[in-house]
Amino acid sequence: MPKGVSMPKESVDHQKGWNFEAAAMPFVDALYNTAYRMTRNAEDAEDLVQETYLKAYRYYDKFEEGTNFKAWLFKIMKNTFINNYRKKQQAPTLSDFAEIEESFENQVSEDAAKPTKNPEEELLENVLDEDVQRALDKLPPDYRMVVLLADLEGFSYKEIAEILDVPVGTVMSRLYRGRRLLEAAMLEFARDHGYLREGDEPAKMRSRSAK
Amino acid sequence: MDCKEVSETLFLFFDNEMEEELLAPFRDHVGTCGDCARKVDYTRKLLWIVRERTYRCSAPDRLRHRILISFEHRRFAGPH
Ligand SMILES: [Zn+2]
Repeated sequence: MPKGVSMPKESVDHQKGWNFEAAAMPFVDALYNTAYRMTRNAEDAEDLVQETYLKAYRYYDKFEEGTNFKAWLFKIMKNTFINNYRKKQQAPTLSDFAEIEESFENQVSEDAAKPTKNPEEELLENVLDEDVQRALDKLPPDYRMVVLLADLEGFSYKEIAEILDVPVGTVMSRLYRGRRLLEAAMLEFARDHGYLREGDEPAKMRSRSAK
Repeated sequence: MDCKEVSETLFLFFDNEMEEELLAPFRDHVGTCGDCARKVDYTRKLLWIVRERTYRCSAPDRLRHRILISFEHRRFAGPH
């Protein structure tokens, strides 16, 4: 605003509101999707996004022009999530996690033993959309968050580090681990669905056909 | 670059986070090593599934509405 021109405070706030709205509303789907995947509950996700918008509006003056606005919104949402929701979350299904991890370790050693053949690739081609969702939902929250930010929202490692307040190295290791766990879970589900190659675990095939 | 280094930097490559000077050695190795070429191919598919086949929920209309109404309220009520 030019110097010497005094605008009534109300109109300034009014303008600020419109600016904020124009800048922030395009991210409502992205924020909601992440909120839903982290809270796993539509009602909590809506409250989380609403609260994120209210806080972002309140602190809009603190946003540094020229930095990533989307990342700024996600950071506010992450903080809100940790403060309000995470404590309420049921603990990650540790047994599932251990199971996945174990099967991942097995798979790695199998891979090392026969590096030329890749049955996983074939399995992966048969994975169902619902398997992808289930695998993602099953990830421990810290890993899930990094995968969502990197693979669904396309944030860079550096942006994710800023959103989560962790070093870039932590982002990389969580992303590595998260994707590997995701892969192992998807392969598990694909196997359970009976996309089996000859000689693979006939017991599961029988239980499938008995259904 | 050797097979081990390719394995370790696979995700960096697909995340566009690989250092510029590593790109050529990475591509050179993958171009001449069958195992690594398969790994690259597999990782590409894996990431494609995660990125493109994960269902994205849109914000419900009532949420947009709630948010917009809260702005309106603030604009007319002014800061507290
Ligand atoms: Zn190699």
